[in-house]
Order: sequence, then C-alpha cells, then structure tokens
Amino acid sequence: MNQPEENDPLDVLLREQNAHIDDNGFAGRVLAALPQRRRNWLRPIFLLVVTAIGSALAIHWLPWENLSVPDLSVPLALNSQVLLPWLLVLSVTATLTWAIMAAAQWED
Amino acid sequence: MSFTDADLIARVLSSEDQHAFGELVRRYQSPVRAFLVRLTRGDAHLADDLAQETFVKAWRKLQTYRGSAKFSTWLFGIAYNEFRTVARQRKELALEDADEPAKSAADSRSDLRLDLTEALKGLHSSERSAIVLCCQNGLTHEEAAQVLDCPLGTVKTNVLRGKEKLRRRLPDYQHYESA
Repeated sequence: MNQPEENDPLDVLLREQNAHIDDNGFAGRVLAALPQRRRNWLRPIFLLVVTAIGSALAIHWLPWENLSVPDLSVPLALNSQVLLPWLLVLSVTATLTWAIMAAAQWED
Repeated sequence: MSFTDADLIARVLSSEDQHAFGELVRRYQSPVRAFLVRLTRGDAHLADDLAQETFVKAWRKLQTYRGSAKFSTWLFGIAYNEFRTVARQRKELALEDADEPAKSAADSRSDLRLDLTEALKGLHSSERSAIVLCCQNGLTHEEAAQVLDCPLGTVKTNVLRGKEKLRRRLPDYQHYESA
C-alpha cells in the first residue's frame, strides 16, 4: 500500500506542488560539461597488439634449433640446455593465451 | 516518432550519441532538479549544480545501468548520493533536525502551498526524501528504498512520520481542495 490516497488533501497538495521546471538551457549546459567517454575497445586492442608484437619478437629470438624432444629414459637428459627453449616457448604461448582471454573478457 | 528510454540509452552506449543523451536529460531534468531543490531546502543554485553533476555521472556510468529499475529511479539514486556527499561536506546533515516552524494559519490556497514548502523544509532529510519521492514523484516504496539505499520499512516509516508532521504543521490543509 504505497499509493497516495486520492482523497487526502495533503496528498493532493503534495502532488500539485510538484510543478514542472522548465529546461531553460539546463540540458545544453549538461551536454557542454560531458567528458569524452573512454573508448572501451581501445585498451583490449592495445593489449593484444603489444602482446602480439612481444610474442613475435620472442618467437624470432627463440632458439628453435635447440628445441629437441628430451629423451626421458635417460636421467640426465633433462638439463637446462634442453629445458630452457621449451620454457621460453611455453612462456610465450601462455602470455599470448592470457592476453587473448583478457581482451575477450575486458569490461570497464 | 518518440524513442523509448531504452532506445536512447542503447544509442548512447553504441555510438556515444550526445543528442540521444540530451533527450534523456530533457525528459528527466525537471523531476531530478525538483527533487534536489527539495533536498537542499530550496537552494535552486546548489540543486542545479547537483543535477548537472548527476547527469554527468549518469553519462559516465551509463554502461552500469542494467535496466532492472526504471531509468528515473536510477537517476534519483545518483542525485541522492550527490546530495549526501555535498551535505556531508557542508555538514548540513547536522542542521536537518531544525526546530519545527511556527504553525501558521493559511487563509488561501497559495498561502497553504507556501506553508507546505516551509513545512517540508522543516522535516528531517530522510522523511523529506521519502515524501518527495513517493508522494510527489510517484515512486513506489520499493523504488524509493532503492534510491535511498535503505530498508523498505524505513521508507514506509519515514513517509508516515513525515506526513504526520506535515499534518500537524498545516492545520488548515484539510480545507484544501484541488483546483
């Protein structure tokens, strides 16, 4: 029960007091004061571009010739010379994947 | 052809259409400004500054409007928060429980209207806000509770208590008849 009572003079008086206020240039002043809204799509695009460039550089510098499948039957096969190139490849792949997911889920 | 609020909001969000936002401002400037004039106890300049800030904030935050409430309710919420921020800064909340104005005899309709304006000023801000939203702007108690960020029961109590105070302060209101 929240509607004003139709016959209550106080409610009638209150309703009648709610007079319309003329715009008188108010909307124009508001529009003049509006800030430029941030372009939400720019940041994820920027993130993707930077990550792609970084990944391309990393891929270019990766020691592909040293990328060999480690022989797991030999205990000493897992040395740094074998693992380091793989670590770099995994880092680049993970960074690129993260950037794509972050850009896709971007919400300002 | 008249666009709905939802159409205008969609245009603002998709293409930052300032004309569409201007139409929303023109639609709602009167109730928002009138609400703020009441809250600021008749300070029209302060009310206009707050109203302008309300619409600028609405522009900034429009993507957070989910459409679950009426657009006007969402705007009133922003306006009320703006008022509260300024009131805290100016420590005006301490002045809200002003002494009740002296009872005056209203011999005419215009006198009664002036008395009502003065009587509203004398209410506590929570009572005044609830009455202005529910009795003057036609919001439901639920919508007013959303705007004022308080429990539904508090809004109902404030409306009842505020109207009771107004009746006490306006002894001649019963003789009032709509024009």
